[in-house]
Amino acid sequence: MQDFRYAIRDLTRSYKKLSSIIITLFISLFILSLIINLESGLKKELNNNAKILLGGDFEIDTKNQKIDAKFYNDLKSLGIVSSTIEFSTMLTKSLKGGDNTFFIRLKAVDNNYPLYGEILSKPDGGLQRMQSEDNAILVNKKIFETLKLKINDTVYVKQTPFKVVGFLETVPDLGRAILFGDFAVVNIKAFERLNVTALGSFINYEYKVKTDKDFKSDIEKKLKQYPFYKIRLPEEAANNLKRVITNFSEFLSLVSISAMLIAGIGIANTLISFINEKNISIAILKSVGLRSGNIKKIFYIEIFILLFVISIISYACSVISIPGLNHFITNFGITLQTEFNVVNYLIILSTGLLVVSIFCIPTIASIEQIKATSLFRNVFQLTKFQFSLKNILLIAALIIILLSIFLFRSEKTYYTSMYFLFFFMFCAVFYLLSKIVVFILKKIPAVQTLPLRFAIKNIIQERSIFPITVLSLGIGTTLLLTLTLVGYNFKRELQQSIPEIAPDYFFVSIQKNEKDPFTNFLKLKDKNVRFETVPIVAASLTKINNIDPLTYIKSNNDSYWVLERDRRISWSNVPPKDNPIMDGKWFDVNDKSLQISLDAKVAENFGIQLNDKLTLKIYGKEITGRVINFRKVDYRDLSINFVMIINPNFAATIPHEYIATAKFSDPTLFKEVEFVQTFKNISLIKVANYLGKITDLVNKIFIAVVIISSVVVIIGLMVITSAVVVQARLGIYQNLIFKILGLRSSKLIYANLIEFLFTFISIFFIASLFSLFTSEFVVENIFRLNWNIEIVPMLFVLILVGVLTLILIFINTRRFLKPSVYPLVRNE
Amino acid sequence: MGRLLELEKVNLHYKSHNTSVQVIKDADLNIESGEKVAIVGKSGSGKTSLIMLIAGLERPTSGKITFDGKVISALSENELADIRRESIGIVFQSFYLIPNYTALENVSLILEINNVQNARKKAADLLSQFGLADRLNHFPTQLSGGEQQRVAIARSMAVMPKLILADEPTGNLDTENSKLISRLLFDYAKQNNSSFILVTHDQGFAAECDRIIKIEDGKIL
Repeated sequence: MQDFRYAIRDLTRSYKKLSSIIITLFISLFILSLIINLESGLKKELNNNAKILLGGDFEIDTKNQKIDAKFYNDLKSLGIVSSTIEFSTMLTKSLKGGDNTFFIRLKAVDNNYPLYGEILSKPDGGLQRMQSEDNAILVNKKIFETLKLKINDTVYVKQTPFKVVGFLETVPDLGRAILFGDFAVVNIKAFERLNVTALGSFINYEYKVKTDKDFKSDIEKKLKQYPFYKIRLPEEAANNLKRVITNFSEFLSLVSISAMLIAGIGIANTLISFINEKNISIAILKSVGLRSGNIKKIFYIEIFILLFVISIISYACSVISIPGLNHFITNFGITLQTEFNVVNYLIILSTGLLVVSIFCIPTIASIEQIKATSLFRNVFQLTKFQFSLKNILLIAALIIILLSIFLFRSEKTYYTSMYFLFFFMFCAVFYLLSKIVVFILKKIPAVQTLPLRFAIKNIIQERSIFPITVLSLGIGTTLLLTLTLVGYNFKRELQQSIPEIAPDYFFVSIQKNEKDPFTNFLKLKDKNVRFETVPIVAASLTKINNIDPLTYIKSNNDSYWVLERDRRISWSNVPPKDNPIMDGKWFDVNDKSLQISLDAKVAENFGIQLNDKLTLKIYGKEITGRVINFRKVDYRDLSINFVMIINPNFAATIPHEYIATAKFSDPTLFKEVEFVQTFKNISLIKVANYLGKITDLVNKIFIAVVIISSVVVIIGLMVITSAVVVQARLGIYQNLIFKILGLRSSKLIYANLIEFLFTFISIFFIASLFSLFTSEFVVENIFRLNWNIEIVPMLFVLILVGVLTLILIFINTRRFLKPSVYPLVRNE
Repeated sequence: MGRLLELEKVNLHYKSHNTSVQVIKDADLNIESGEKVAIVGKSGSGKTSLIMLIAGLERPTSGKITFDGKVISALSENELADIRRESIGIVFQSFYLIPNYTALENVSLILEINNVQNARKKAADLLSQFGLADRLNHFPTQLSGGEQQRVAIARSMAVMPKLILADEPTGNLDTENSKLISRLLFDYAKQNNSSFILVTHDQGFAAECDRIIKIEDGKIL
């Protein structure tokens, strides 16, 4: 209790000296709190709305096929059934002219829709009109605004007129198309009048059931007669959205722990400086009989009181800030609620406690180096981090607990483990680097230039803080550079204009008999048009080596989308030019059995090897073939890409349709409306519009990444500052003696600048290298974007860190040379 | 003998919050080259403040200080540093050696910053003359108080300064060490014809000087 009282008294008198610890702790804990609250809020909302997102208590997955009538009637005995049909098509405002066409996902709904949640539309009553009137349509808000529509205006889908009865803000059962693209809703009767004649590859039938009964055993019995049908439960709803959120929150979570760990280095720096400033007081306490253990306890109490108070304040601030984040996630159709969650707070407090302890143990242990005899000798040596065997074991145990907390919370334990592995590996490399520099400098013969000599002496001296400065600056700069590169890759992705080679349009649902007229139409409009037409057919992957993959591949697998629905597959005699073969050979033309070329990433995620057997279901028939090769597929290059390509020998007789891309020498030669009038079953997607649709969501993620990164950048700079300030403070005594002996301030400043240059040059290349590696990993694997090296921003950040640190050194050295030497001469 | 140091109507005030304390009052003092002067007075009388003014570590509130023909009260920080480096040696009661430098490095440092050739050898020779030949590579923490003060004196005399300022150099030492230190200071000052200003409470030590100046409440009597 006495120690506690002493700690409180010391804290209230010294809190100004600990201000940088207070600020660093607050920012890092606030970021951690914000991210944990955001993550848990999003997941909670998704779980709470699972039935709404699925659209029922369960869904029957018919692999996009129309349901068997008998089974449909059986379902009705379980509860209310809602059937919907989705397909991709074109919507235009006029049949006569103008360029306003939209590629949409059209959802045809019955009168039971929606079973859960509600359609948000304006004006009120729009949903009822759409369900009751013939050819009424609800379009999404963007279409409504872009086409400058008014209620009761007419739009055309497949040349069929529809009366606009309102606009939709969101629909409850989110699909990928609705999340990213434009959509419209009509009733089932209206859909039937459209007389959609495609082969079914773009039509998606959905059957959802609302029931109060315990349906599981009943439905399982019924499904035995229909082995191709699967049941989907609410927890499997919105998998795409969950994956986006999981990837995003995993990244932010790692950024926040980086912020905490870097803050830990800053706290250690400030604390050791604080201990050094108090070395006389500590020596006096020891001389009057206080044990090192008591003094250490007082320091621990002080730091833990700070941690406890700041954790509450930062958590409260994050809770207040959560509602402000809602406008970032309007696309998701969910609203985050703010609440004080005890478990989340305890996670934050314990993370803070662990990080602070890890860094404070060697710092506070340095108190043992201060001897009461110093008072008699009148020589006070600077303390340094103390790593005894006991301390090392304790720190290792705390690190393991910290890792366990994050690994336990993480859904991507591989990435999280790799992250921690690399973080500690980078720390070790920077520490080793500092030792190598010291070793080399020790070998250099005596230098005549005085500032250089002082600088070298400062670095190689026994109690030099050079290693910890290299470590702080190295890790801080690596993180800054990594976040800069991640941010710029995001920015480039957003600002990326359509590549020169990218097509102007995609054309989908081209029937066999339309292929030649379609080709002629394009050539007629522009004789220099470049186009590519490939056959496609819908197929689902039903077995891998004779086992249903859904029995062992979970929905959080990055390639789960391949299993969720039918995929379009194609065939070709030659490998696609943008899909290099990573392993295996192209098709054997003499082999007429099914051969499959598979996306290498999907193969990796599913654990598929060359020559493994895949069973595809095409038009209801299951065919088994072998994987012959793996291709590297980049779905972002705006060319035609397929997860699976099969051999033409086998595919020749399969009924199919075509997909095409076209690039015009002059895009104005191609009139969209004329095309839609001529080919009413072919849908076209303007590439520029497609890019625009995904931009909004990515832009919001980018903003979040930039904001979080900026805050971490601030923490990084604070840590660097603290390292510099510590260096300057530790040098104050030495510099004052130099000053009394007649050394000019300029030489001392030069010496400090040279010392910094040694530090900065040491970390420059390694930090750059590490950041390139880490940012590539994050951009390519977590965000699945194209990674590019960005030299200019990298150099900018390096120069910024360098210049900022130089200025800090300059200001601090001058500041500590300025004050009168009176206290020193007075023995104060 | 020429005049090395001259103080004319020198005043020093310290401001603390709203109060002002006059530490040195209208001080007039002349020191000749090679002259040894002891300054005595009670604690708080202004002895240390006076030698800090002479060393250029404090600026007078008013008055003029001339050292070796230069009005040092009007010089810049850098010019004052140059004068200290080349012409003034300071010995403190609490030694003030650089803890991370060995005894040899502490002494060679002052020679190096004065661009003296073979600084380390000269420093080693000097320390040997002071009886520290076997302590060259020891850090201050590894030296006794008397040894530390001998290193500090060697440092202050290494460049053969025109003026040595010693602020109670034996204040922390036993009788035996005090005698040794005082002997070293006097002998070396005499050998180099250095002027010597000694602040001390030790009457015996003061008596060895050419002149004793008394200071009381900031006024030279």
